[in-house]
This record gives sequence, C-alpha cells and structure tokens, in this order.
Amino acid sequence: MRKKTSIKNIGIILTILFIGLFIISSCNNKDTNETKGYKISIAEQYGLAYAPLQIMKENKIMEKNLPDVEVNWEQLGNTAAIREAMLADKLDVGFMAIPPFLIGWDKGMEWKMASGLSQSPIGLVTYKEDIKTIKDFTKNDRIALPQPGSVQHILLSMACEREFSDAKTLDDLLVTMKHPDGMNALLGRKDITAHFTSPPYIFKELEQDGMHEILSGSEAMGRDFTFIVGVTTNKFHDDNPVVYDAFIKSLHDAIEFIHNNPEESAEILADQYKLPKEEVLEYITWEGMEYNSNIEGIYEFTDFMVRNGYISKKFDDIDDIIWEDVEYEK
Amino acid sequence: MKNNLLGKRYLVRIFWILILGIIWESIALSGRFSPLIFPSVQNVIESLFKSIISGEIIGETLYSLNLICKSLFIGIIIAMVLSILSVRSKVFEGLVETLIAIAHPLPGIALLPLIILWLGTGSSAIVFIIVHSVVWPMVLNLSTGFKSIPNIYKQLGDNYELGLFEIIRHILIPASFPYFLAGVKIGWARAWRALISAEMVFGAAGGIGGLGWFIFKKRVFMDTAGIYSGLIVIVLIGILVEDMLFNKLEKATVKKWGMSI
Repeated sequence: MRKKTSIKNIGIILTILFIGLFIISSCNNKDTNETKGYKISIAEQYGLAYAPLQIMKENKIMEKNLPDVEVNWEQLGNTAAIREAMLADKLDVGFMAIPPFLIGWDKGMEWKMASGLSQSPIGLVTYKEDIKTIKDFTKNDRIALPQPGSVQHILLSMACEREFSDAKTLDDLLVTMKHPDGMNALLGRKDITAHFTSPPYIFKELEQDGMHEILSGSEAMGRDFTFIVGVTTNKFHDDNPVVYDAFIKSLHDAIEFIHNNPEESAEILADQYKLPKEEVLEYITWEGMEYNSNIEGIYEFTDFMVRNGYISKKFDDIDDIIWEDVEYEK
Repeated sequence: MKNNLLGKRYLVRIFWILILGIIWESIALSGRFSPLIFPSVQNVIESLFKSIISGEIIGETLYSLNLICKSLFIGIIIAMVLSILSVRSKVFEGLVETLIAIAHPLPGIALLPLIILWLGTGSSAIVFIIVHSVVWPMVLNLSTGFKSIPNIYKQLGDNYELGLFEIIRHILIPASFPYFLAGVKIGWARAWRALISAEMVFGAAGGIGGLGWFIFKKRVFMDTAGIYSGLIVIVLIGILVEDMLFNKLEKATVKKWGMSI
C-alpha cells in the first residue's frame, strides 16, 4: 500500500515538473517581432567616450530620422551585463570596446560591429614617484582596472608582452574595480598604486599632485585605435533593416554634430555629466579624444588575443565581424 | 539498519539528481536556448574536469575555504565573548543589544566602499565582511541559548564557588550547545554568501581570488559552462559540510546527550 502511494507521488511530481517545463518553453515563444511601430533598445555605459549617444538621445536625432520609432535607452554598469542582455535578446545595440566584443564573438554570440564611436586618451596612472614604466612594479603593487578581458586589461597585457615577452606578467597584481571606485582607491594613495582608466576619470586623476601617466593606450598598442564601437545582434540587423539604417545614420549625424557644434554639445553634455560646461568642452576637445565612425585596430586586437589565448580563433573574413558599409582600417 | 536508512537517503538523492539532470539535458538538447545561456550537462562536466585537472578550481576552493575557516573562527570567538559578557553583566547586555540593533541589518556588501577605504582590497577586507555577517546572528543565538539555561544551574555553579571560566566551560557551553550548534550552522551559511559576493567584487589579490572570483572570471570571458562548474563546487561543499560535519557533530553531542531528537 505504502509503496503504491510513493510511486504515485513521484508520478505527480514528475507531471508537475514537465508541465512547468512546457510553460517555460512556450513563454519564450511569444512573437517579439510585431511589425506595428519601430522599436530599438540601445545600451550605453558612463563616460565621455559615449558622448555622441547622449547627443543622439537629447536631440532626439533617431526620432527625427525615423518618426514613430520608440527608442529605449539603457545605461548599464559594465560590458558583461550588456553582453548578457544582448544574448537574452533584451537589447538590440550595445556599445563597448573591441576586446569584449571579440570574446563574445569567439564564444558564438551572433553579433557584428556596426560602427566606430570614439577614440580616447586612456592610460595607466600612478601616484608612486619611483614607478616610471611598467617594469618598476613590484609584487606589492596593485593595479585597478575594470575587469579581466576589458580593453584596459588587454592593453596592459600588450605592453607586458612587449616589455617582458609574457602578456600575463602583471596579471597577479590586478584588482577589479569600476572606474569611480578605482579612482577613489587611487586618490586614497594606499594599496591601489595604479589605475588603468579612461576620461573623465583619467583627467581628474592627472590633475592631482604627483599623479603621472606611465603608459598610454596608444603606447601599449603601438598605434591609435578605436576605443568604443557599436555592436548589433544579427537578429536586429536582419529583421529590422529600416531601423538599422536609421540608427546608423543617426549615430553618424550625432558624431558630426559634435564636430560642428562643440560649444552646444558641451552644454548638452554638461547637464548629463553634472560637470561645468567649460570643463566638458575642454574634455571633448582634448587631444586624442576623437569621435568618428571609422574602426581602427581590429587586426592588432584580434592577433594579440589569439596569440595569447584570450580568444580561440581569428575571423576568416572581416565580414564575419562587421556589417556591410562599415568603415574600418585595414 | 541505520546504515541502511542513510544509504537509502543517498539513493533517493541520486535518483532525483539524475531526473533533474535528464530534464536539464533535454532542455539543452531541444536547442530552444543558446548554449551560452543553457550549456549541456556534458559541457558543464567537461569544464569542471578541465578546471580540476589544471588545478585552477582546487586552488581557488582551498583559498576560499581557508578564508571561511579563519573568519568563522574569529567570528565564533567574538560572538562567544560578546554573549558571555551580555549574560554576566547588565551593562554589557544593553551595549550588545544596541550593537546588534545597529549592525545586524547592515549587509556586508553595503559596507564595502567603507571597508575598501579602511582595509584596502586584500583578503583582510573579505575576512572583515565575513566576520561581520557571522557575528551578529551568532551572538543572538548564543545569548538566547545562555538565557534559556535554568537559573538553578548557574546557582549551582555559584554554590560550588566555580570561577567564571569554569562556569563557562562546565555549565554555559554544554547546557546551551544546541543553540551554539544552530548558531554555527547559520554562521556557516551566511559566511558562504558573504564570501562569494565579496570575492566577486574584489577580484584577485596575488592571482588567486577564490570561488567567487573564479565564477566572475568565467562570466567576463563568457564561459557559461565554467560558471556552472563553479556553482557545482559550491553546492558540493555545502552538502559535504552539512552531512559530514554538522550531522556527525550533532550525533556525537546533543543527540547523544539526549538534548534533541
């Protein structure tokens, strides 16, 4: 008798499990691609390198180029979160550096680069007087940067490969910190001795007494390169050609707007960043701070990352990782 | 007979794990979700074995366990001292209650920015967070335990003119042991949580950063199977400690003494 009930129980539980599964799998099946009204979800991160996106948002450029479009802007804290949201089909467009894009592509994410956004002065800042190059770090030093696999980490590894013939030499010194936390830790002048960061944080750090830059992004790479690129999922690009084209046009319009109206742009951005207008104007016209849609440095990043095992393969053809009509440097 | 029952429990558990595994695998094979979201069982197991063979996950696990043991030890000592003081003296009772009221609702992670300022980003900061999340529930448990001891026991001790330490050793600790054990169990569970979240924020100091860091690293390199293998190790350690350590300890003490069933 008892045995019978326990078998029955198991049967009930299994049925519930399978019904649950069925519901989960059918939920996911809803039509996401209703055609009435255009929609786009765009993710940005915080920082001056994303300035054209703020202009695009504030001046409603996308809405002017494609009336009736519904633009959903999201500000996410880090690249991994953007990548995961795009994977889960919650975002159509994400902005990030080239290395995190390549990591996702290597692992099988279906996405390609749609445009460059900005080049930017980024670099490694320290307060220690006796540290003049990356060779001067000891095992007691700590270097803060956003996360392993970030463009900052890859650039530091590039410099290490050149100086020590081993890209991973300084990996043991790394501490993962968001830019604002890293800046505070560095300014505290304690165990974080150096910080690899981007504007506006790098500008603020270098204003302080005794802070100096020991390695810039372009020194690490050996050339100028695109810091932030726009990436879209294959699904968005293939299913919504009208919205995709409008998005690319709007992005390029926004970049042009900054070029033609730096003063007005600074005013718009000052509100966004809660900084004085003069400071923003100084930052966006800083030497090395360039907004353009050309993508530079793809081959150097890819070759380095394959050589050191950060990704497993090189693209066969550049069209595997960029959409048609994207300008890039060979 | 007893062994039989225990064996049966494991059989039941293995049975259910197998069933869940089959369901998991069939979802993965259905191709409904990208393998980047839902890797297949053999991918996860493969990735687990790879990181065991390379020694990576073993090193990180030992690092985490070492931090946990250290912090639990410190936490238990502090909790004992605080609760004994609060039982023996009215002044301290008020102080300890106030401290608990202030500190207990504060999640360790909320203190993180301050802790970085005070202690930097090394392992001492992680120990601090774990101790913080362990101490307060444990003090609550221990002092409830001490207070539940019939007063006559303490009077008996006073009658024999036992000193403070003898009273603690021969009366307070044995009489409140079930509460102590429950406190350690809660402490252990909270320590794990605090440890993993702290490690995910801090990253590696000196190249090795514990299981939380292992999972974080897998995340930034989009190795989803690797994330699951980190989770499996955490679950396994949880089960092992519960079954091997706490159950044995309970059997050898409170159950043997007839204080609990």
